Amino acid sequence: MDLENTKAQMRKGILEYCILSVLSRSSCYASDIIKELKEAKVIVVEGTLYPLLTRQKNAGLLSYRWEESQQGPPRKYYELTKEGREYLADLDNSWDELVESVNMIRTR
Amino acid sequence: MKITVSINLGGYSFNIDEDAYSDLKRYLKNLELHFAGEESSSEILSDIEARMSELFRGKLTTYKQVITIEDVHQVISVMGTPEDISANESTSNREKFASPGYHRMYRDPDHRIIGGICAGIAAYWNIEVWIVRLIFFCLAMMGVGVLIYFILYIVLPEAKTTAQKIEMKGEPVNIHNIKESVKKEFENVRKNMNL
Repeated sequence: MDLENTKAQMRKGILEYCILSVLSRSSCYASDIIKELKEAKVIVVEGTLYPLLTRQKNAGLLSYRWEESQQGPPRKYYELTKEGREYLADLDNSWDELVESVNMIRTR
Repeated sequence: MKITVSINLGGYSFNIDEDAYSDLKRYLKNLELHFAGEESSSEILSDIEARMSELFRGKLTTYKQVITIEDVHQVISVMGTPEDISANESTSNREKFASPGYHRMYRDPDHRIIGGICAGIAAYWNIEVWIVRLIFFCLAMMGVGVLIYFILYIVLPEAKTTAQKIEMKGEPVNIHNIKESVKKEFENVRKNMNL
């Protein structure tokens, strides 16, 4: 068993969930999402985020709009769609269930 | 003194050292190959370029106006190599690149004398190209060689892309082989230009 691999597998699944959770609070610019994910230590390299955002957008969970910025070129602001909110609510439930299950086993 | 190159990354123009430029270019090429199978891969790449542009801008001051090779390596380590990125992605995505090694016969434009037929056959069977040329020469003397050559010229496609050149040799087309192949080509060009 490879510890690093197991950890990467664990992170993989929750990363998608975390992106949606960050966006559920407010619409965000990709670099803001990265900042939060890095602080929470759920992302290692930034390159991982972009394919996920594009996939979620293609799946209809996210949409984006261009917004002018004072410091540079226009920025892409992502936000949850209605579908995205429903999807996230589902994930919230299953996360709670998972945590409960794991805790139950660990504290037994 | 160093030569710098001027590039446009994410809508910003940067002056970048030549060695840094070649590393950056290779990195972006690798990412492009990595995301090649992905829907809207160009969108992913332009998002990544926009982010890299932002990180590079953070490295410039009034007293430091050129992107150095250290800056490039540092930004690459923040963004992650294709291997780092795929370590965090679903495995199905990674398997896509490990397609079985197709082995097809092509015309080899890199080692050709006429149409690259002999070189292509030699690469396919992994034998010395002069042996194939000798056989064709003998066939030509017997009167059928030219016709066979002509038919093969029509039938065999030319190996144009890097992936086709790898297929010609029967190696699996994966990111590692493509990288090696591109690197080799890059070195060849450099040698030819005497850089």
